[in-house]
Amino acid sequence: MVNQGQSSIFSRLAVYGALSLAALYFLTPLFVMLLTSLKTLEDIRSGSLVSWPEEITFEAWQMAWTSACIGVDCGGLKGYFWNSISMVVPAVVISTMIGAINGYVLTQWRFRGSDVFFALLLIGCFIPFQVVLLPMARTLGFLGLAGSIPGLILVHTVYGLAFTTLFFRNFYIAVPDELVKAARIDGAGFFTIFWRILLPISGPIIVVSVIWQFTQIWNDFLFGVVYSAGDKQPITVALNNLVNTSTGIKRYNVDMAAAIIAALPTLFVYFVAGKYFVRGLTAGSVKG
Amino acid sequence: MSGLKIEQIHKKFGTTHVLKGIDIEIEQGDFLILVGPSGCGKSTLLHMIAGLESVTSGTISIGDRDVTHLSPKDRDIAMVFQSYALYPNMTVRENISFGLSIRKVPQQEQQKTVQRVAEMLQIEPLLERKPAQLSGGQRQRVAMGRALAREPSIFLFDEPLSNLDAKLRVEMRTEIKELHHRLGTTMVYVTHDQIEAMTLGERIAIMKDGIIQQFGSPREIYDNPVNQFVAGFIGSPSMNFIPCSVISMDNGHGVEMENEAAKFVLPLGRSEPALESRVGKTVLLGIRPEKITHHRASDVGSAGIHQASCRVEIVEPTGPDTLVFVKLNGVSTVCRVDPDQAKKVGENIDLMFDMNRAVFFEAEKGTRIC
Ligand SMILES: Nc1ncnc2c1ncn2[C@@H]1O[C@H](COP(=O)(O)OP(=O)(O)OP(=O)(O)O)[C@@H](O)[C@H]1O
Ligand SMILES: [Mg+2]
Repeated sequence: MVNQGQSSIFSRLAVYGALSLAALYFLTPLFVMLLTSLKTLEDIRSGSLVSWPEEITFEAWQMAWTSACIGVDCGGLKGYFWNSISMVVPAVVISTMIGAINGYVLTQWRFRGSDVFFALLLIGCFIPFQVVLLPMARTLGFLGLAGSIPGLILVHTVYGLAFTTLFFRNFYIAVPDELVKAARIDGAGFFTIFWRILLPISGPIIVVSVIWQFTQIWNDFLFGVVYSAGDKQPITVALNNLVNTSTGIKRYNVDMAAAIIAALPTLFVYFVAGKYFVRGLTAGSVKG
Repeated sequence: MSGLKIEQIHKKFGTTHVLKGIDIEIEQGDFLILVGPSGCGKSTLLHMIAGLESVTSGTISIGDRDVTHLSPKDRDIAMVFQSYALYPNMTVRENISFGLSIRKVPQQEQQKTVQRVAEMLQIEPLLERKPAQLSGGQRQRVAMGRALAREPSIFLFDEPLSNLDAKLRVEMRTEIKELHHRLGTTMVYVTHDQIEAMTLGERIAIMKDGIIQQFGSPREIYDNPVNQFVAGFIGSPSMNFIPCSVISMDNGHGVEMENEAAKFVLPLGRSEPALESRVGKTVLLGIRPEKITHHRASDVGSAGIHQASCRVEIVEPTGPDTLVFVKLNGVSTVCRVDPDQAKKVGENIDLMFDMNRAVFFEAEKGTRIC
């Protein structure tokens, strides 16, 4: 008995120790970045990587946002940040909406071959980006969307559909058939049932889909670098270009500030909705 | 006027043939029970009446209107599901009025209907709650309420009481029966509970393997089952089936019985023409537990009633009666005796066999002989 109590304390200590180490490992880079971004250049040259700044300044942030040079254009990340926003928001909304409708059809309005269709769609989750690069480039060119933000929206929507459909299908499969049958007897049609019965109970899975899609699309580099050009590039590509544009001296503080700015929205989404993500993934069916 | 007419309905899911030619016709206002063991196709048939499942072949008419190919909303039906299927995001009030609002009934009238239904089912205090905040019995009432909000030409119930505890089930059973008297609307009620079937039904269709075994009134089915399956399915405890050989006696036929103590003959006290060709062969005697009772002096000497002594193997008191199990021809046989007259295990009890309602089945096939 005594032994058991002791060993439980030990195993608890071990678990917390391991968790703290992991947290330290992942948080240290972020901490160093934050520290560096708040220093002046001289400060960086004179001090060590983790030394506290002599004076805290937001100059580097200011510069990264408005005046850092990206290629030949010295306007900072600002424009590219909005590029990313105007790409991510529609792509997330559209892919989540269509994913929800797909999931609804695949579970509640089964048709001949719907299982095969779903299996094929699942393959979409495993197709590497590289495979679709060239065909997609041709398609975008054909549609006249090459090098534009709508083009990127299309690419991300199509690519994300496999995932969003999977999320919603697995959520709706747990919704009792009788719910939809009852609504049909009450006289509700396809879209009424979707809007008034299913969507209102889909909160948890919408959160999952939005977080997933938002992080995926915001962080994407490959599609961004391939399918966009000039001032239509998303922030990830701009960040890369900013770091690689040499203007004589290497401004580490600006690079770090820029990197944090580029990562901020995903961090924000994670902090605001992270706990709903786990909850949504494990959410069961409906009580009723 | 016909309430519901089902003609030669077949249903196949891929290659599995679930319903194999169902024919049912009931009058308007009848209470029809579909009863049968799990997986026999009751829900499938009900869903086809509702239009939630397509028919493979055959026709369905509700109140003289062919609805075979109409969608559920055009069939003028209301349904209560086994899982209740309340809309989880809506309050009880919204659940009840949902169908009305879809049908564009004016707001004021909707509220009046909700009020009427809530009063009828005594769920007024629950109107603003969500389904998750209700107990099982309350949900069941709300599900009934949602069906009652409309005035359909037929109500469909799919095992609406199977998720309730025993006491509530009995109460709701009575309430549904009252409701039927009050509304006078045709009702189709699916259950696998034979007591529910007997107490509620005016017409009972007993299904097995996608076929209707027998269709009739509770009395007909109880007294005159068409085969061993129906005889065994209806009635609790179940009818006894005792293999025995038929003999010819002075005053008709009889069957031979054997227990630990002795061999004896149970005379029918009448001559059954159908048994004549089976003299000397083995048949199944079907006799209900309440027809094997304790010794009653008043019955001694009555036609078709015979007394024999048997050893008690098991005793199960149920309250009003005690079930006594004895062994006849090697099968355990249930007898329903007065608690005061029951004997202990191992003792002998004098039992009176009333053969007037006894029925006979073919030993293998279970088809009725007489
Ligand atoms: N969509 C379907 N696809 C294939 N087979 C089905 C489908 N729906 C039902 N079945 C089969 O049809 C048969 C009858 O099912 P049904 O649900 O009507 O049974 P039931 O009599 O209502 O049983 P229970 O009392 O368990 O509810 C079962 O064997 C079932 O497996
Ligand atoms: Mg069923």
